[in-house]
Amino acid sequence: MSTFDASTLVYVLQIVIGGLLVGIGVHFVPVGGAPAAMAQATGVGTGTVQLATGSGLTGLISAGLMMSVTDNILLIVLSGAVGAMIMIDVTMLVGNWVYIYGVGVPPVAAKTDYDPITKDPQPPYISPGTVGHGVPTVSYVSGTIGGLMGGAGGSLIYYALMNINGVSGLSAFFAIGIFVVNAVIASYNIQGTIEGFHDPKFKRVPRAVQACFVATLIIGIFAVLIHGGA
Amino acid sequence: MDMVSMGLLAAMGALATIAGTSEDLESDVGSQSNPNSQVQLAAQVGHTHRIYNKAISGEPPSNALYAALAAVTASVLMSDPYGMNAFFSIAVGALVAAVFNGILSMTSYMGRNTSQARFNQHVYLDVLRSHTTTIMAHAYITAFCVVAISYIMTAPWLPIQHPFPLPVIAFTWGIALGAIGSSTGDVHYGAEREFQQYPFGAGLNAANSGDIVTKAEAGLRSSIDNAWFCAKFGGPVTGLAFGLIVFLDNWRTTIFDPATQGWYAILTGILIVILLNVYNRILEIRSKKRYGPYPEYVGDIKA
Amino acid sequence: MSVAAGGGESKIDKTKLTMYGLGGGVLGIYLAHVLNMVTGTGYFSFLAGLGAIAAVLMGADAVRRVCAYGIGTGVPSIGMMAMGMGLVAAWFGLAVAGVAGPIIGIAIAMGFGYFVGMLANKIIKMNIPVMEEVLMSLGGAGAMVIIGLSVVISGQIGYQDMLNDVVFTGYIAIVFIAGALAILQPFNANLGPDETQDRTLVLAISTGALGMFAAGIGSLVTVGVGGAVLTMLIAAAIWLKAFLWFFKLVKRDSSGVVGTGLLPEGGL
Repeated sequence: MSTFDASTLVYVLQIVIGGLLVGIGVHFVPVGGAPAAMAQATGVGTGTVQLATGSGLTGLISAGLMMSVTDNILLIVLSGAVGAMIMIDVTMLVGNWVYIYGVGVPPVAAKTDYDPITKDPQPPYISPGTVGHGVPTVSYVSGTIGGLMGGAGGSLIYYALMNINGVSGLSAFFAIGIFVVNAVIASYNIQGTIEGFHDPKFKRVPRAVQACFVATLIIGIFAVLIHGGA
Repeated sequence: MDMVSMGLLAAMGALATIAGTSEDLESDVGSQSNPNSQVQLAAQVGHTHRIYNKAISGEPPSNALYAALAAVTASVLMSDPYGMNAFFSIAVGALVAAVFNGILSMTSYMGRNTSQARFNQHVYLDVLRSHTTTIMAHAYITAFCVVAISYIMTAPWLPIQHPFPLPVIAFTWGIALGAIGSSTGDVHYGAEREFQQYPFGAGLNAANSGDIVTKAEAGLRSSIDNAWFCAKFGGPVTGLAFGLIVFLDNWRTTIFDPATQGWYAILTGILIVILLNVYNRILEIRSKKRYGPYPEYVGDIKA
Repeated sequence: MSVAAGGGESKIDKTKLTMYGLGGGVLGIYLAHVLNMVTGTGYFSFLAGLGAIAAVLMGADAVRRVCAYGIGTGVPSIGMMAMGMGLVAAWFGLAVAGVAGPIIGIAIAMGFGYFVGMLANKIIKMNIPVMEEVLMSLGGAGAMVIIGLSVVISGQIGYQDMLNDVVFTGYIAIVFIAGALAILQPFNANLGPDETQDRTLVLAISTGALGMFAAGIGSLVTVGVGGAVLTMLIAAAIWLKAFLWFFKLVKRDSSGVVGTGLLPEGGL
């Protein structure tokens, strides 16, 4: 059993920050849940947890590769963030291809009349009987930020655990475990769907911050006590 | 960067493209993931059907299972007492994954349709026989390709030395692949193929929920027809998405050695992200210009 | 999932199931450990797999109870969260508590579950009355499945052996995901208004056996061919029995299991 000293506290802190990044990042990821798969709601047509986890784990692969050659925390965390951003951006882009060329609907947000970034009017492009479809610019940028935070958070957790137990398989899986706990708590907070940072549901972030903070702290304290064997 | 790394990277991209395509078609034949909510709803609103109805706990976990199982089997066969050749090990591993996929698909089809007994939704054994093998075949291809990518990233005699063990990396790619498949290609199945009787160029009107197409050109629509349709667009673009992700993500660390040029790799990644954002904006402008506002719109905001 | 339908009432009480799940799971894990130690072989690893099946039953019933409420994100998320908590708790127990590890791990996982359920209700304001209790069962079941399947692979409880056999080889991936799907698939595959508890639980036995089989494949390298083949044979036998039983229940509950045919009257 590893001893509990100052450096362990720093690792716990890193895990908690990582968990918070994941929890907040999920709020940025534009997902419409099942309705979006029928072009009935704005966002990517899948579950919040699914997409956030998919991008976070892609980031983890990048971060893991980086961590095998360096111990510069900034490089590792940024590497994970960039990997996650690439994953989520390509996914949203190809999702838009399907909406535009496969279904024939332009990407449009429903929770705002004018796109806050491009000032484009939105309502005229919403097809009747739906609440938007596709991934418009504001949601796309929001999703990129979500990928950044999710990937950075996952990598930070991995970095902290890796410094404690030194076993990549174990650290990766604990990072995945802590990642999904935070992602699920956050997605309960938004009830499974959100359009991006312009969505009124985004105002619920403080609740998720509290819940993710406490949950990650408790799980993190146990996780840092797991050593990597002799 | 050397020629071998570049070749391996190209192979990974190609394998990923195939994996993405077959993953999406597998979920279309089986009607997995979010569009399945409409198949589930159809019987409840009076449209019984002969469409496969499988739901294996969401696409990311189920694909992670196939990939991890195939990888575990392959790594068992490759390891000490057995020492099988990597290619055949991965093939056997993918076979085991396909069998698991078949079992889980069958129980889903039977269970879900049985739980709709009050809507008179039958369990058709011929659907089970003809479709399950098709689903398994696609799952086989997916599992094979994902494990092959993971093997290239971890094999001790190849240039990329990823620290994660083979099954862990296959698991992670499986989750990512499932997330991509359910975000991209499935929309083509859910928004277009399931509701083909409604005009092209609109999302599903909430009033028409559950009114999926149950008849084909002749006879009743089967899920294999759906795969035929989605193979024209939804499947290939899903493949492109996964291929791009695997390629771009590894390309950065192939051209720039992460040990000495880590910052260049990250800057390249950021550049890619910015370009993707710009391209998406261009795509949005073009689509809005081409399609124009909906004629049914009656609000005050001008397009 | 928009079609949140809880199905029929429970014939088997949840307390009873939780008791059997906990008891069976812990018993199986320890029996496997002790018998393997005493005989110095790997032949008894399958007992841990049986324990995992008991835990899967408990977990599947918990999923069934919570999904009667609309939880907003579908069935898989809650199970992945439970497995995430269970994983950390299980390995914590194994790392610090030696042979008592499984019990400590399961207890901590249940604590995590209760705690996160409370956060979900108090801070996120989900207001799902069973959330604490269900997440507690799910966390415990998740930890137990993870430990059970890990012991199938390692053959015993020692932490260093488990690290060597389960983590360094990467087999932890299959332990995690096969356990998760074993718990999630039963309810998810039977979701609908006419879901019945016995059908879901019989399917849970079958998916649990699949998980045991998958762990058995991993144990081919670690506990040796004899023990591994025994595990896989027993898992296959249990699976076959449960599958046929499930098919019988499908025929009992369905509106019609037909070889082929057009849509029934009233269909479009």
